[in-house]
Formats: sequence, structure tokens, C-alpha cells
Amino acid sequence: MEPTFRKSMAWLHTWAGVLIGSLLFAIFWMGALSVFDREIDRWMMPGTRLAPALAQQPVKLDGPITEAAQRLAQGAPEWFIRLPSERVPAVELRWRDEASKAMGRRYLHPQTGAVLEHTDTLAGTGFIFPFHYSLHLKWKDVGVWLVGMAGMAMLLLVVSGLVIHRRIFADFFLFRPRKHLQRASLDLHNLTGVLAMPFHFVSALSGVVILFTIYWPSSYLVAYPQVKDARQAFSAEGLGQYRRAKASNPGEPLASLDAMLASAHQQWHGGRADFVRAWHPGDVNSYVELRRSYADMLTMNLDQLYFDASNGVLLHSFEAAPIMTSQRFMTGLHRAQWDHWWLRWLYFGAGITGCVMIATGLLVWLESRRASHARKGLAGVRLVEALAVFSVPGIFIATLVFFVANRLLPQDAAFAEQGRAGLEMAAFYIAWICALIHAAVRGRAAWREQIWAVGGLALLAVLLNWVTTGHHLVFTLGHGLGAVAGMDMLLLAAAVLAIAVARRLTRQASDARSTLVTELANSTTSHA
Amino acid sequence: MTAVNVGLRVIGSVGGGYAFTATLVALLSAALSRAEISRSEAVTAAALMGYVLYLAVLLWGFSVRSVTRLWALLASGTALASALAFLMR
Repeated sequence: MEPTFRKSMAWLHTWAGVLIGSLLFAIFWMGALSVFDREIDRWMMPGTRLAPALAQQPVKLDGPITEAAQRLAQGAPEWFIRLPSERVPAVELRWRDEASKAMGRRYLHPQTGAVLEHTDTLAGTGFIFPFHYSLHLKWKDVGVWLVGMAGMAMLLLVVSGLVIHRRIFADFFLFRPRKHLQRASLDLHNLTGVLAMPFHFVSALSGVVILFTIYWPSSYLVAYPQVKDARQAFSAEGLGQYRRAKASNPGEPLASLDAMLASAHQQWHGGRADFVRAWHPGDVNSYVELRRSYADMLTMNLDQLYFDASNGVLLHSFEAAPIMTSQRFMTGLHRAQWDHWWLRWLYFGAGITGCVMIATGLLVWLESRRASHARKGLAGVRLVEALAVFSVPGIFIATLVFFVANRLLPQDAAFAEQGRAGLEMAAFYIAWICALIHAAVRGRAAWREQIWAVGGLALLAVLLNWVTTGHHLVFTLGHGLGAVAGMDMLLLAAAVLAIAVARRLTRQASDARSTLVTELANSTTSHA
Repeated sequence: MTAVNVGLRVIGSVGGGYAFTATLVALLSAALSRAEISRSEAVTAAALMGYVLYLAVLLWGFSVRSVTRLWALLASGTALASALAFLMR
């Protein structure tokens, strides 16, 4: 394209970056938050803030928990339970509602089986994590495809960034925060880009690998030519997913789930099930699916056991084949579902580092063109600046408004056919659109104004958590509620950082104004 | 570089590159299915290779000198790979 490979890569890096940067930022931001999706759930669902120590005690499913599941999921074609863990100390019960096709969800006390106070919210696991990989654009998987394209673009950006970067080692020690914005941004872009490069490359690659059945349909269409639903046939063979059709005849009562768990423990040589699903409950063909926990391993295994629901006889067992296991290794590498707090924080930090890299990349583009675009009357900088403000401080505002709405909306809130969870999502999108309009109107000043708003909203979220639940930091730290305490502390840290940045930007803006006034005054006097 | 040129290159590399890679994945999947591994394993292996191939095609697409050459090679490559995949399946 350009005369040399390096110049082609420079062109690609600049334009792919500015075109995809906003989308990539949203994906990185939501991905970094998804590292703590369960912790965000605890913060947004105060009824489930149980002491993590509860998860250490053995859980009995037979009895109150199964009874509660059968009562709540009455008539449902399937229900499942996730056993309590350190991150989710409660039993999570979900069921498919026959009429609405939606999934119901309640949390149960792990010892008494009592239904915990319910907050209708999608929270971290239902809103933030799906946003990360689907942008909540469900129609024809458009969102998943956009995220996949952004993932490939990220790989291209890492490769092209490495090619155009001449002094990787030397620049690693270079940061000039007091130099003008363009220099400081470039230094920070290079620093974060090189420092977290292995993470960025591996997370982008493993991220796109997770949904390979969506991205490469040609792989199974050609291998299963005679089958009507090739994807289903492939999934049954490669991913397990044993199915037995409903007989529509009432069957025996459910056999002991605890016995099935014990049998799985034996079959898996000490591995434990953490997921129990009842298919066609009450039917004569009802069966129970058990999935193995991956809390103690990197690979997200596909080990499954299926038992007859009435007598506990093993119907089918599945273990992934080697190549599928390597795919699940990459999936695990990306999803970080294992129990390891240091690594969890490292993932979060690397994700935030990616956000810094993308934001500073956009700033380099803007600052290196600001003067010339103004001189030539080009609209590029204005447009990209509005988009950058929308996608960087704008998405922070939207996310914080989502948290604030969660604490402000009454338990039974409903408006325009939206339940409480829908209203929280609406608050996110309305706030985000407002940030875009504000950015378009206010130009460069939108940066500092929106960063002020970020600081204020983060403080407000912590305050509202305290007011609505009584759980302030001293309480949560004292009672071992690490998830809530951690979220509050991150919000406070974000507030401090945002206010510091906003203050600096405000000072710079007033300095620039006074310089301009002095210059104008000087030029008027000299002309006079 | 004219705007048309850039547009053709982006569509060619991203869209055409995907079409070419997807047919290569199909070919690989069909070929591996005939080998001593199970069908689902062949599919997974082919799909995983797809990412590496696509990245290489994209890098080539954004660095090759002429857009005509880009389109010509991708079109003939896609045609050849589809024909082979059709024969293999």
C-alpha cells in the first residue's frame, strides 16, 4: 500500500485506531468490570450480601433448597442451581419461564434455603458482562460480530503498533507527564501499550476464540453436510449437551441431588460439581445435569454428568476431546473464572491499562491534528473529539448512573412496560446519549465537565450504598463483605482520580484563557 | 491514495479476507474430517486456525501494493478453496 511495510502499518494503526478506538474502549471498559461481575452483583443486590464464610460450610441440596426450587420454578421446563462459592455465598436459582421465555432468578440462603430479598437488576453478570461481548445488540448477533471485528482490529493494532515502534526498550522508561499533552499522551500510550502488550494480544485472541461457533460457521457447515441443524449436531458431539425429550407423562419424585453430587465427586476423582440442572422436572423422562466446577483450574472444562431424575442412575457422561479442551483453555484464560484474587486484580489492572492505552491513543490523534485542522477548517478533530469524550468519560458516567439508579429506584419500580431492571438499563443509555450530546455541544470543554461529573457520581454511588443499605466501608470491612467494600473503595479511588484530573484541566483552561486575554490586551496596546 | 482506493482496500481486506479465510476454514475442516480425528475435533481445529489465517490475510491486505492485486488474489483464492472444499466434503 505505502512504499514500505512499516509505513503501511503506520497508516493502518492510525486509522484503524481512530475508527475502532471508541468501540474498543467500551469493550475494554466492560471487560475490566466483568472481572468483578459477581462482586458488582453483590453491590447491586444487597439481599445477597452474605458473609463469604457461609460458603465454606457444606451445603445440602435435598430438603429446603430443592423444595424452594420446585416451588419457585413450578411448571418451568428446566431449572438450575449454582452452588455457593466464595464470590457468591448464596445459592443461585434460575428457571426458564414457560410463558415469557425469560429466565427467573432468586438467591437462596445456603443453609436454610430461605429466599433472599430480591432486587430486580441485571447487575454485573446480566448487564455489564453481556455488554462486553455483545453490546446488547441481539438482533442477528450484530453485537457479537461487531465485538469480533473489534477483537481482530485489536490484534492488527497490536501487531502494527509493534512494527511502527522503533525504540521499544528505551521508550519503556520514558514518561514526560509535565510536557504538553501530545507528548505525555504518546509516552503513556507507548508505555501502557508495551507493558501490557502480551495481555492485550492474548486477551483479544482468546476473546474472539470463545465464540468460534458464531464466527466460523463454515467450519461445521461443511463437516456436517447431511444434517439439518449442523451447529446443533456439532455442539452435541463437541460440547456435550446430552438431551432426552420430554414424555409428557408425570414421573416419580426427584431422587437425591446430594447423592448425585457425591457420585460426581467420585467420578471426577475429587472434582466437584457447582451446577445442577433439572430438565423437564416432574416428567417421567426428567433428568439431572451436573457440571464440574473450574474454580481450581484454568481450563473451563466441559465435564458433564447426566442422571435419571427419578432413580439417580447415570445416563451419560461427557469430557471434551483434546482440541476442544485447548479451545476451553483459551476460553478460561480469557474469562478468569478460577479462584485467585491476585490474578483477578492483575486482570482488572491490565484491562484498565488497556483503557488508558486506547484513550491516550485517541488523544495523540487529536492533539497532533488540533492546530492544523483548526487552520484548515476541517471537522475531523471536532467529530473525533466528541466521539472520544462520549466513549471515555461518557461511558464512565453511564456506568455510574447505572449504579446510582440501582440504589435510587424503588423495589417495585416500573415504567412504560419496563421493570426495574429495564429502567436501570434505560438510565445507562439515556446518560450515555446525554454525554454524547453534551460532548458535541461543548467541544474540548466537555472533557473536564464530564470528568467532574464522573467524580461526583462515583462519590454519590458510595454515599447511596451507605444510605440505602447501611453498609458503609467500616461495616463492610468489619463484616468481611469484601465484594461491597472493594467496589466502594474502587469508586472512591475513581472519584479522587477524576477530581484531580478535572481540577488540573480546569486550571489549564483558565491559564489558557488568561494567557489569551493578556495576548489580546498586548496586541491591542501595541496596535494603538 | 484516493477515497475509492481506500474503500476498496478496506472492503477487500476485511470482507474479502473473511470470505477467503472462511472457505479455507471449510476446506481445512473437510480435509481434517477425513483424517484420524473425530468430526467435531476437525471443526474446532479448523475454526481455531481461522483466526491466525485471517490475521495474516488482514496484515497482507493492508500492506500489499496494489488494490487490484489484492482483489484478484482473494477472489481466485476463494474460488479455488471453495472448489476444493466442495470436492472434499
